[in-house]
Amino acid sequence: MKAATWRGTDEVAVERVPDPAILNSHDVILKVRQSVTCGSDLHLLGGYIPFMRAGDVLGHEFLGEVVEAGPNVRNHGVGDRVVVCSFISCGKCWFCTHEMYSACDNGNPNPGLTEPVWGQAPGGCYGYSHALGGFQGSHADYIRVPYADVGAFAVPDGVSDTRALFASDSAPTGWMGADLSEVGPGDCVAVWGAGAVGQMAARASVLLGADQVVVIDRYAYRLDQVERHIGAETINYEQTDVEAELRERTGGRGPDVCIEAVGMEAHSPGPQYLYDQVKQQLRLETDRPAAVRQAIHVCRKGGRVFILGVFAGMVDKFPLGAVMNKGLTIRSAQQHGQRYIPRILRLMENDELRTEHLATHVMPLDQAAEGYRKFKEKDDNCVRAVFEPAG
Amino acid sequence: MAIPKLLSRAAGMAAEAGGVVVDRVQHFRVPGAGGGPPTDSPDRSVQRWRVVTVLCSPEQIGTGDALPAPLAELGDRIEIRVTPAPGDKGTELAARYRGPATEEDLRELRSALRRAKQLIEVGEVLRVDPVPHGKRKPTPQGAALEKATEQAPKEGVL
Repeated sequence: MKAATWRGTDEVAVERVPDPAILNSHDVILKVRQSVTCGSDLHLLGGYIPFMRAGDVLGHEFLGEVVEAGPNVRNHGVGDRVVVCSFISCGKCWFCTHEMYSACDNGNPNPGLTEPVWGQAPGGCYGYSHALGGFQGSHADYIRVPYADVGAFAVPDGVSDTRALFASDSAPTGWMGADLSEVGPGDCVAVWGAGAVGQMAARASVLLGADQVVVIDRYAYRLDQVERHIGAETINYEQTDVEAELRERTGGRGPDVCIEAVGMEAHSPGPQYLYDQVKQQLRLETDRPAAVRQAIHVCRKGGRVFILGVFAGMVDKFPLGAVMNKGLTIRSAQQHGQRYIPRILRLMENDELRTEHLATHVMPLDQAAEGYRKFKEKDDNCVRAVFEPAG
Repeated sequence: MAIPKLLSRAAGMAAEAGGVVVDRVQHFRVPGAGGGPPTDSPDRSVQRWRVVTVLCSPEQIGTGDALPAPLAELGDRIEIRVTPAPGDKGTELAARYRGPATEEDLRELRSALRRAKQLIEVGEVLRVDPVPHGKRKPTPQGAALEKATEQAPKEGVL
């Protein structure tokens, strides 16, 4: 079959790879209808996650049609249109039964790669390096989906492919950030990053009843999407002093909830960016946490900070003093998508959650390299590049 | 020596190095990554119970030949301890060798415990997609990573 593979730093190619097969009784094989780039893929492309091998298939946010089902699959049959959570979770361990699906004990066959660094291994993830299981990704004609009854969800008839596609990762990730931050009426919420995940966190905050939601970014076209499609306020950090603006808009208190949806390659104005770049390139820190630092600094006393962006290792100049002295609560997680996807599909069906605007570039899988280039360079106002294997 | 032969030899050495690196990492604490320096002697480290918590009742673990196959296959070489976990967390399943054990023995034990847990909780052991998916050249860096990945199911802090 055809697939888009990682060939090396900043190198993507479309090549022929073996078709996937049913390996466990709970697997299904999907014919991929749409698969979308994710900001976290850029960490793989940039070489910041050192467990990719040339030829590994990329992609973890996808939707498709069941073409084969293992003998123990109960909820899905051939022909079903399903969206699949990007994290691979068994549904049976203590973590899954407590809805912490991305912490699944049985989803990652390679715990020896992450346990020494993180203490424990998270669950597996499609197309996200051998550290998260070495599973083939979704930028391909077909994909194997383990634990299909747990991770795959039937898409309601009235929901389009391009809307449901984002129920795989961006929407549940954003929803989780707002939900686990306990966003509700009376809250002022600030979200760093106006990419798909940041927009979804902002939309979730609006739907959960927050009084005020503000999204921070430097790309005018993304902030424009926030105002038109999400119903939130915006701040362009290249034109405005973010902390002064947030204090002014929140009565001097600072936001009750700060959601960081940027990750390990954060950009920031001023010398801090140069400092982090130099340290990251010299491998003296693995991740650039500029948005996390600002979120902690501006958050109101006793407030909540949620780290949604992907981080891999160690950061420098972490403002622990602010966390302690202001009494902040910090939470984080890879997405527990299985917990949120059913609700998100209902919201999509009811037209309360729309995501089509995120798919700014829909293209055939053959153009995956160009899609990633546009996505990485924010060329042509790209928010997300969506690949269609049959396109 | 021809360049391809040199590369092939380098890849072989790197693969060995990959295994060694993973092995060493188990006994090396990355600065800033938490934990102090390990203080266990090698003998004490081998004697420690290796423990997984399984979401089941103690009775479901089984004993002797009724243990999950990966543990039963290790027979009398290991001893097993089964205790209820606090709260609703299930059962703590611990195992250790009765006598001296090599690094390879410990790898087998880690893998056996993980597979036993999966068999009880899920009913089968999750298999991995065959690799490579696409084309790749035998580079030294890649060979090291592949060796490390091959050993990863048997390594870790367990």
